[in-house]
Amino acid sequence: MSDLYNESEQQAPRSGLVLLQALILGLFCLFAIRLWYLQIHRGEDYKIQALENQLRQESIPSPRGLIRDRNGDLLAVNEPAYALGIIREDCPDVDRLVHQIATWTGKDYFELKTLYNKNRKRVKPFEPLIIVPDLTFAQLAVVETNKLRWPGLEIQFRPRRLYRYGTLLAHVIGYVAEADEEDMGKRPELALGDYVGKQGIELMLEDRMRGAKGLTQYQVDVNGRRLKERVLKHPQAGHEISLSIDLGLQQLCMDWLSEEAGGVAVMDADTGQLWALATAPSYDSNDFSSGLSSKQWAKLRDNPLHPMQNRVIQSVYPPGSIFKHVVAGAGLHYDMLDPNETVFCSGSMKLGRRVFRCWKHWGHGKVDLNRALVESCDVYFYKLGKKLTVDRMSEFAHAVGFGHKTGIRLPHEKAGNIPTREWKLKRFGESWQGGDNLNMSIGQGFTLVTPLQVVRFFAGVINGGRLLKPLLLKDENPVVQSRIPLDDARLELLHKALVDTVEDRHGTCRRIRTKGVVVGGKTGTAQVVRLTDELKELKDDEIPYRFRDHAWMAATAEKDGKRFAIACLVEHGLHGGSGSGPIVKAVIDYLFNGKVTPKPEERKAKARAVRALSLKHKEKPRAN
Amino acid sequence: MPIDRRLLLYINWPLFGLAVILFLVGVLNLYSASGTRLEEGMNMAPFYHRQLLWGLMGMVGMVVFMLFDYRHLKTLAWPLFWTTVILLVAVFFMGKTIYGARRWLDLGFMNFQPSELAKIAILIVGARILSKEREPLNFIRLAYVLGVGLVLAGLIIKQPDLGSGLSILMILGGMTLFRGVTPRVFKTCLFIIPCLLPLSWFFLHDYQKQRIMTFLDPTTDPLGAGYHIIQSEIAIGSGGFWGKGFLEGTQSQLRFLPERHTDFAVAVLGEEWGFVGTMALLTLFCVFLYQMVVIARDARGLFGSYLAAGVFFYFFWQILINTGMVLGLMPVVGIPLPFISYGGSATLVNFCLVGLVLNVSMRRFMFKQS
Repeated sequence: MSDLYNESEQQAPRSGLVLLQALILGLFCLFAIRLWYLQIHRGEDYKIQALENQLRQESIPSPRGLIRDRNGDLLAVNEPAYALGIIREDCPDVDRLVHQIATWTGKDYFELKTLYNKNRKRVKPFEPLIIVPDLTFAQLAVVETNKLRWPGLEIQFRPRRLYRYGTLLAHVIGYVAEADEEDMGKRPELALGDYVGKQGIELMLEDRMRGAKGLTQYQVDVNGRRLKERVLKHPQAGHEISLSIDLGLQQLCMDWLSEEAGGVAVMDADTGQLWALATAPSYDSNDFSSGLSSKQWAKLRDNPLHPMQNRVIQSVYPPGSIFKHVVAGAGLHYDMLDPNETVFCSGSMKLGRRVFRCWKHWGHGKVDLNRALVESCDVYFYKLGKKLTVDRMSEFAHAVGFGHKTGIRLPHEKAGNIPTREWKLKRFGESWQGGDNLNMSIGQGFTLVTPLQVVRFFAGVINGGRLLKPLLLKDENPVVQSRIPLDDARLELLHKALVDTVEDRHGTCRRIRTKGVVVGGKTGTAQVVRLTDELKELKDDEIPYRFRDHAWMAATAEKDGKRFAIACLVEHGLHGGSGSGPIVKAVIDYLFNGKVTPKPEERKAKARAVRALSLKHKEKPRAN
Repeated sequence: MPIDRRLLLYINWPLFGLAVILFLVGVLNLYSASGTRLEEGMNMAPFYHRQLLWGLMGMVGMVVFMLFDYRHLKTLAWPLFWTTVILLVAVFFMGKTIYGARRWLDLGFMNFQPSELAKIAILIVGARILSKEREPLNFIRLAYVLGVGLVLAGLIIKQPDLGSGLSILMILGGMTLFRGVTPRVFKTCLFIIPCLLPLSWFFLHDYQKQRIMTFLDPTTDPLGAGYHIIQSEIAIGSGGFWGKGFLEGTQSQLRFLPERHTDFAVAVLGEEWGFVGTMALLTLFCVFLYQMVVIARDARGLFGSYLAAGVFFYFFWQILINTGMVLGLMPVVGIPLPFISYGGSATLVNFCLVGLVLNVSMRRFMFKQS
């Protein structure tokens, strides 16, 4: 042990000491030269680069194109809104800031924090991560006064969509909402927090209405506060859109449909433009653009009347008697029908062992084509249908646009169904029966149409056979998709029958007669269920809501070269004449006389009572 | 043992003073690197008071390291070495994994890194072995010394912690050069080492390879690893001659500079104090190192000289690598700058090692005690 301490007083090796001193000298020289190079020789270059580092760029939102109706009334506008974001690089303590934001806005801290964590990878350095997309003015005032104490907090101004008639046109205009992952994947120009069209016209014309974002550059101080700002690229506003919809008419239709379920389509028979596309019940577009809460969404989704459904283009119904015009057209087209030949209606017709009844128990007597259409004689069409069979009826129905989408510029349109022998075999595994022909001839059975297809067909009847694409924009030119394969004389037979249905003493559409206007019409009753004998005994008011028939009316109206076709369907409205007739009458009065007929209180009360009853029974109405 | 008043007199006070001054410069710099200026005063991220606290603990440690006669360490050398080996092995079985590396032992109140202890152990063991004789090392002696170093370095590199492992070898290597090798050994090493270096490329991780590639051309990865180098050069370069002034550095205050309180702390200093500041810091470090050379020269006995030389290399390599990296002369490796970078246990160890060297200096005239 002792020898450990018993060292001779040896000196450190000289070479080693020299080495260490050389290393110090080398270190000093190396770094001194490098520092001189960086800080003196190239100092000015780096100063410029450091200055550029203080500049940040930010995109300027572009105002979305406005939406107007055909008369210039504003339907969708942009209003200023303020969003709250966090610039991560400026924020010394994100957790505390998120806590503070939760306190200011009354939102849940964990919800905000989850949002922050989910989106942090999507945000570029020094760009704000939007955490509250929509501040109220009261919140804005509080945040603005405290902003200086919270570095990294960013208030962003951006336009927000406001629908001035949110429930009136929800199914046409649709709505915008914040872009999700999928939208951003599809459109790379979208950033987090941007609004994008999700439904309706807003979705279909997204590219036209969005415009182009601008770019601004600003200098920041040490807290990320803006000093000087310079716009590099001005934003480009989106294109304005004028709908073909007439706000007044749309309002009228929605008023008449209120408290009921159904749809109205009004088409300019010469251009194909829709002046009204009403569907009820509806929802409010504004609820979606301001962010639907899960509660609101559940309420919409679970509503038994399906307010999200656009009944004019997305719901399919049996056409009922209005299909008789299609069957008559088929008879004329295939030359299997002499319009003057009469058929005797005894009130029923036997096919095999089954008896097919006319709606008029004691029969219509002798009827020709015109009479059969005017009085809607079933037996006449049973006989015609038997002759034509499904093959010809189906071929003609397809030719006049049923069974296909109309191509309207709205998402999720349905095609309906026109049955064929093959279809039935495939669908049900049964071959087509003779009785199916008869059912089809009066628009019951497997045939399903949308109100939009109906209005297009009847517009074709009065415009010389042109089947027009239904248009929603005022500046769109008519598109003839195909023609009804009938010459003018034969079309005129159909048109005359329509007019006589309104004018004739026995006509089923007498209630829509309008002075000075050539009005034509056809009622229809779409059976929801085959009425059992028990139900047949009941009076109308006693039939449960969900078993009641749908009420159809198709109409044409013409005056001074203005021609319109109207289709109206009221779900469970019982009879075409009483259920849909008054609505069609109000539309015609508005179109030609500028008269606004409000829905009678009596009808409203009745609808309310029916609704209350149906909800009490917890019955689900049929919705396709 | 009563403290001899002469001991106080012989302390190398310049070294003591320089260590304290460097530490204070570091704290001041950290203050700037961690503050975010607000309307009503400063909002501090908590680095700089924690650094102050660690510094105070370090100074206590420094005094503790001065109290005993350093020559006792000669007997403690091997026990310390084996203790370190056991702890390093223990890390494999009960170590705490942070960022994918198993380097820490959980002591309950703090996380302890045995690799820090290994650096002290290699100093003492190295000094013990090398001070036995005076002659330059021949092959057999060199192999023995390297073998001892490789045991520790290998265990640390396995963690994986390449930086600490290599620094063990570099400290030992430096001490070996201080002792001197025979001309034959020197010539052989001169030939073999350049041949072995390219081979080591195959043992590097992908991220380590990428760092070297990025160093060679920072523009290949301007937002990743190259970003650090580019932003650090901008920060230092834009400081110019006089600097932008305390707390006025835009690069650091605008948070473009990454790791500005740890590995890139000196860039903040360069930006705010300019060429004047960086040259002053460089001079301080050089004088600080020179004082250790003085202590190594004047030490009574070879053991003390080698201890001082070891501590010299401990600081020298860190200064060279860290500053070289910040100035864009070396690849980015996570090695802090002594006293300037934020780091609790590193500060503690730094002060203790300074204490150790002061211990050597104050006992340079001690005669054999009977």
